Order: sequence, then structure tokens, then C-alpha cells
Amino acid sequence: MRVCTLKIAALLSFFLVLTLSGMSYGQNTSVTATVDKNSLTLEDSLQLSIVIKGTQNSPPPQLPSLPDFRVTSAGTSSSTQYINTQRSVSITYNYRLTPMSTGTILIGPAKVQISGKKYSTQPITVEVQKSSNRATITNKAAFVEATLSSNKAYLGEQLVYTFRLFHRVDAKNLNLQLPFNKSWFSKEELGEPKTYIKIVNGLQYHVQELSIALFPLKKGLVEVPSAIIELDLYHRSQNRSGRDPFNQIFRDPFFSRGVQAEHKVLRSQPLSIDVLPLPDRAPKGFKNLIGQFKIVAELGKKDLDVGDTTTLTVTVSGKGNVRDISFDEPDLKNQFKIYPDKPEFKQTVHNNQIRGEKVFKFALVPLEAGRKTLPEFSLPYFDSEAAQYHIAKTQPIFLNINPSSAKEELNLVQSRQQEMPLTNPEIETLGTDILPIYTELDKFQSDNVSSFAFLGAGFGSPVVLFIISAFLMKRQNRMKYDVAYYRRRNAYKNANQRLKQMSEHSDSKEFARELSEILREYIGDKLNLQGKAITAEEVQVRMKESNYEIQQAEETRKLLEKCETLQYAPMTQGSTKQLLGESENLIKVLEKQS
Amino acid sequence: MKHSNITSLVLFILLTLSTSLSAGASDYLNDIVRANAYYAEKQYAESAQVYESLIKEGTKNGYIHYNLGNAYIRMGKTGPAILNYIHAQEWIPRNENLAANLKFAIQQTRDKIEPPPPGTLNVLFFWVNDFNINELVYFAIAINFIFWITLILWMKFPVLKVTRNALLCVLLLSFVSIGVKIKNESDFKLGVVLAEHVDVKSGRAVDAITLFQLHEGALVTVTDRHHDWLEVHLNDEQKGWVPQKSLGT
Repeated sequence: MRVCTLKIAALLSFFLVLTLSGMSYGQNTSVTATVDKNSLTLEDSLQLSIVIKGTQNSPPPQLPSLPDFRVTSAGTSSSTQYINTQRSVSITYNYRLTPMSTGTILIGPAKVQISGKKYSTQPITVEVQKSSNRATITNKAAFVEATLSSNKAYLGEQLVYTFRLFHRVDAKNLNLQLPFNKSWFSKEELGEPKTYIKIVNGLQYHVQELSIALFPLKKGLVEVPSAIIELDLYHRSQNRSGRDPFNQIFRDPFFSRGVQAEHKVLRSQPLSIDVLPLPDRAPKGFKNLIGQFKIVAELGKKDLDVGDTTTLTVTVSGKGNVRDISFDEPDLKNQFKIYPDKPEFKQTVHNNQIRGEKVFKFALVPLEAGRKTLPEFSLPYFDSEAAQYHIAKTQPIFLNINPSSAKEELNLVQSRQQEMPLTNPEIETLGTDILPIYTELDKFQSDNVSSFAFLGAGFGSPVVLFIISAFLMKRQNRMKYDVAYYRRRNAYKNANQRLKQMSEHSDSKEFARELSEILREYIGDKLNLQGKAITAEEVQVRMKESNYEIQQAEETRKLLEKCETLQYAPMTQGSTKQLLGESENLIKVLEKQS
Repeated sequence: MKHSNITSLVLFILLTLSTSLSAGASDYLNDIVRANAYYAEKQYAESAQVYESLIKEGTKNGYIHYNLGNAYIRMGKTGPAILNYIHAQEWIPRNENLAANLKFAIQQTRDKIEPPPPGTLNVLFFWVNDFNINELVYFAIAINFIFWITLILWMKFPVLKVTRNALLCVLLLSFVSIGVKIKNESDFKLGVVLAEHVDVKSGRAVDAITLFQLHEGALVTVTDRHHDWLEVHLNDEQKGWVPQKSLGT
């Protein structure tokens, strides 16, 4: 009884599942596209939702080409509903579209293939307008601005690009894209972004400020395009009181129910800058230093003995690209040994201006006594504020070198050895760059992969050479040890030679005898027999045994018999030639058969 | 008469062929000189354009890729520069300037990803990466020739048996080296991110989860290709799919 009940329950369940699944399969498939807004500004983004009804197992739709938008995925959602036993399923693919240009933009049909059938959505037209102007921006929840420290600069002069985000509500998920063309500028960070509060037209804004030092690399009018920041603004509803102590703890929008998020794309105004070339007539030794610099030289001991060590310290400080400054060793040949130390560099950023100090140290060991003068160090630079070249110089330094005592000379040697690790100059990397291009034309021969013909010849020809050599060597060996083979190989050659010599014979009997002998010896060589001893009939028999054609064997016999007959009967000159011709032809035919 | 006509025709064809070949070679060298001159005049975009056109015509030369990489570096395009240095390495793998410039270019990238370390096969056949495919083939041809000549001599002089066996080993090794090289070039494909940044996705779809982001010039290993998507591999834990157009291979 219990088993029977279970069977009925299982059967009912089966039918229920079948019915439900049949209902779901019976549902029509449709694909639609919707947007949350069809009129927006460059500051906004819209959500494109593609809803596929009737299935939840469809592949993602293929979006149309959208060059006027930046497209990011905003996730998928699926739903299942039962209404009056009717089951409906759907899946929604969401995309966030951020406009990149203004005007009327057509979002073409998205396509999706479900169970082999293709579906398309209807096209949607949206209107994108410019953002509000600057006057109304200040009333907004957030706006941005970008400024340059100057709209004119010399090549290599430091500029400060400042980007500021003003916001009155919480701003999260900031994604900033600063616009820089690497071929026009090199840039350097100016520390962490600053945060402060600023009153704009009576409204209090939180300001986040990011500054970057830019160094123009090319002259001309350059446009710095808009900086773009994407962010989410969280607007709080005013009626929710902030007196609740928990409200202070859970100020994060995540915990607040009265918070509305708004995705925004803010663009700063594009800026332009005129990059001026450096004036002509740069002083000798000018190394593209731009800014204001000071240089000071100090000497540790000014009164010392030969072999003693003193330190010359040259300090360069100022505003600009101090890091790039370098000095050659002072020209003190034969007067001092010089051990340059690794320069020390310190950089500070003050009021968005890069300042730096670089200290060069040279250990000097005097080699001869007397009153000496250290030459001045000069640093040519271009003062961008005064728009002219300057040369910063140190003062000459005088020092007195005393002769050393013997004891001290000894110390000099020891001292040098001990000081080696300290004074051993460490090579400083002052800059890095790529190594130059190749210009030698012989290097530009094409390296195309070798053709099959070349590879075939390269790998195949030695094999062919080997096969030929092996064959020849084998034949040579056989000729040496196999008499029958040797005779067979040389039969034709020997017979031919003798036949050629015979043409001059005048005695017909002797001619016939010798011709008979040549033929029999040829056959003898070919069949490895004693040629001279065999008769014409034997020749025929042996030839047949050796698979010569019957006709050729018979012809040979007849020719031999003819020769024998003619040995005893007179012969004319014409018949001698005819017989010789017959013999030559016969040997040729037999040679072909063998 | 007939014979002399055929001779004239053959001579004419040979002359035309040699003239067209030398004209083609001359045009090619003129282009090289022109590209180098543009570079010297700091017209890097024009220089790169000429080098690119030579490569598109099917020219395979490591030094063209090297010079093109330099032009891109000067233009501030680190991604294409690294890609061309990598291509140059296929042909001039022992060039020290190339290694230095590639290192420099990688230092300019945000991700600073060095080329992946060699696999076990490459450690065993450590010399393979120091030679290009042509050099390995020429070496094999030379050894092949010497081996067969030795084999012929060995038939005459059996004392050469040891030499024959040693040469056979070297020949087999050179064939295996070519095989390893071909396998490396087909399986182990390096890719360079050319876009400013690219999202590496968990699947081949725009809405797949973004696993991590790579920036221009990042070096990755391409392990699979599916229509317009490439599977990239940084290490055992970091791999995913990127659109094909964002990567240069």
C-alpha cells in the first residue's frame, strides 16, 4: 500500500514538472532594449538595459558599434515570475553608456542569437547636450576645474597643472583621467592630492586638488585637452535628521536609506599653452637648465700637506630641474689627484614648485707643494622669469700646500689604500636613454626564412652525394674481387676496341678468324666462359640459358658460323666491311639486352 | 637562326630579371635610408611610417624592428616599441643594444612586467634562444653536410667511426633545437598591451568580471585565441581574456 502511494506521488510530481516546464518552453522569446533617459548632458551617463524574455540561458547580446559612447558593463539580473500558473522568465543585461560627444545619437539594434534564431532590439535615439556653463556650475552638487600656472612657457620650463574637484555631497568611486601627450610633455608628481574646504558664491564645497609638474618638450601652441573624472555622487534626503547618534556612525552611504546615488562624468575646460623656444645665444656649456639656481663651493682644509686629503663641496640649489645638473671633474691635472663622490640630491615641493639641492663632493689629494688656486665652477642656465641666460659661478678658492715629511709620505701611501673604498668613484647614472638606431645598410638584408628549395638542396644534396659515392665504391670493390662481374663490365669496351683496330686488316682469312675470336670472347666475358674454346652452337645454347632473346642467340650463332666458313674461302673488301658492321650491330644489341 | 633567337630571348629575360631584382633591392635600401634620415631629423612619425610599410611588405629583418622600436620610443608609444623590440629579438637575439633598449622601454611602462622566464625545455636547450631560426637551420645544414661526407669517408676509413657517431649526435641535436625553436614560436607567444589600459576579463564578454587591469607596454603570454578575444597569462594566478585589438602579438 505504501509503495503504491509513493508511486502515485512520483507520477504526480513528474506531471507537475512536465507541465511547468512545458509552460516555460511555450513562452514566446522577445528581446527589447530600454534606456533610463533619452536626453542627457555630457556630464551624465545613461543605462541601457537589454531584456531577453522567455529564457535565462541566452549568450550576452552583441552590442552595436557605439563610437560616441564609452561602454561599461553594469551587470546582469534575471527574474522568474509565476502568475496564475504561468511562468515567465527573463534576463536583463545592463550597460552604462557615457557620451563622448554632443548631438542626436542613434543607438543601433543589439543582436542576440537564441536557439539558432536571431533577435534584434529596436534602435533608440538619444539627445546629448553640452554641460551647463560655468555660471550655473557653481550651484551644482559637483564641478571641476583645471588650471595651468601660466599660459606661456619656455621649452623645458616647469609648469604646474592643477585639477580641482569641488563637491557639496559625498563623492565616491572617483576615476580620473588626466590628459597628457607624452610627446609634448614630461610630467612629475607633486605629492599627494590635497583636500580642503572652499566657499564659492556663499556655498561650501569640499575641494580635492591634484597638482602635476609639466615640462614642455616641443615648442608651439599646445592644447591640453579636458581632464575627465567619473564619480558617483550620493545625495542625502534633507528630512532624515542627523541627530540620531547612529547616524553619525553610519554616515557611509552604504548604510543610509535616504541616499540617492548619481553617476556623473565631469570634464574640465581644455587649456592651451604657448611653448616658446629658448632664445638664441645660449652661453657656452648651457645644458638646458631652466629656473633659478645658486651655486656655492667650499673646501674642507685650505692649509694642508702634500698627500693629505681635503674635500671640495659644490652645492647647487634652486628652482627647476636640479636633478639634471652635472659637473665634470675640475681641471687640476698634475696638481691634485681627484676622487669624485656620488652626488647627493634632495628634492622638495613648495607651493607646487619643485625645488632641489644637489651636492657634489670631490676628494682632493695634492701632489705638489705651493700656493694653489682651485678654478671656479660655472653653471649656465636660463632664467625663465627674467627671460634671459645667466651664469651662476663659484668664487676661486686659494689653498696652501706644504711639503710633506718622510713619515707623512709613508702615511700618504697607507692613507690612500685605506681611503680607496671611500674615494673610489662610483659611477652615477645621470640619465637613461635608448641606444641609437642602426644605419649600416648591410645589416638590413632580409632575414626571410629559407625556401623549401634551399632547405631541400641543403639537406638533400649530401644524401644524394652519399648514395652516388656508395654506389661507385661498391662497384669499385666488386670490380676488384668479382672476376665474372669485371669481365661482364669490360666485355663491350674490349670488344669495341678490338673491332676498331680490325678495320685496317687486309687479309680476309685472318680478318674472319679474329672477328670470330672477338665475338666469342665477348660472349665468353658476358657469360663468364672461356670464349676462345666454345663453338657457335654452344654459344647459342649458353645465350638462351642466360635469358638472351632466341633471335639474338641465333643471329650470333650464324655470324660465328659465317666467320668460320670465311676463314677458308676468299673474301671481297665490301663483304669484310659488311661483316664488321654486322658484328658491331650485334654486339650493340646484345649489350643492350644484358 | 632559330638557335640565336632563343639565346637572345633567354639573355633578355635574364637581363630584365636581374634589372628588376636590383631595382627592387635598390628601392628597399632607399626606403631604409629615407627612414633613417627621418629619424635623424627627429621626424619620428614619418620614420616609423616608412619602417612599418617595409614590414607590411613582408620584409623580415631584426634591425628594422629595432629602429622602428626606437622611433616609437621617441614618439612616446611604449607599447608598439616593446612589441617591435620583441619582434627584433626573433632575428637578432644576441644584440646587446636591443636588450638594453627593451629594458629601457619596460622601465617606462606602468606595470614594468619583464619577459616571462624560460620554461624547462628552454632551460635544457639553453642555446636555442640565443640563435634565430635561420642560424639554427644553417648550422644544421652545415652539420648535415659534414656528417654525410664523414659517412662517405668512413666507408673508406673505418677509423672515422667515432667521429661519425659524434656528428650524428650533433646533427640530431641540431634538428631537435630547430623543433624546440619552432615550438617556442608557435606555443609561447608574447603579447604587448597597445591600448592605454585594458581590462582583463574573466570571460570572453564585455560584461564579464574585470579581474585586473594592464597598462600600455605590459608584457603577457598569449595562451589561447577565440574569435576577437585573446587569453593572456601573467602567472599561475593572473590570467584572463582581453579584446584582440588591445594587444599586439
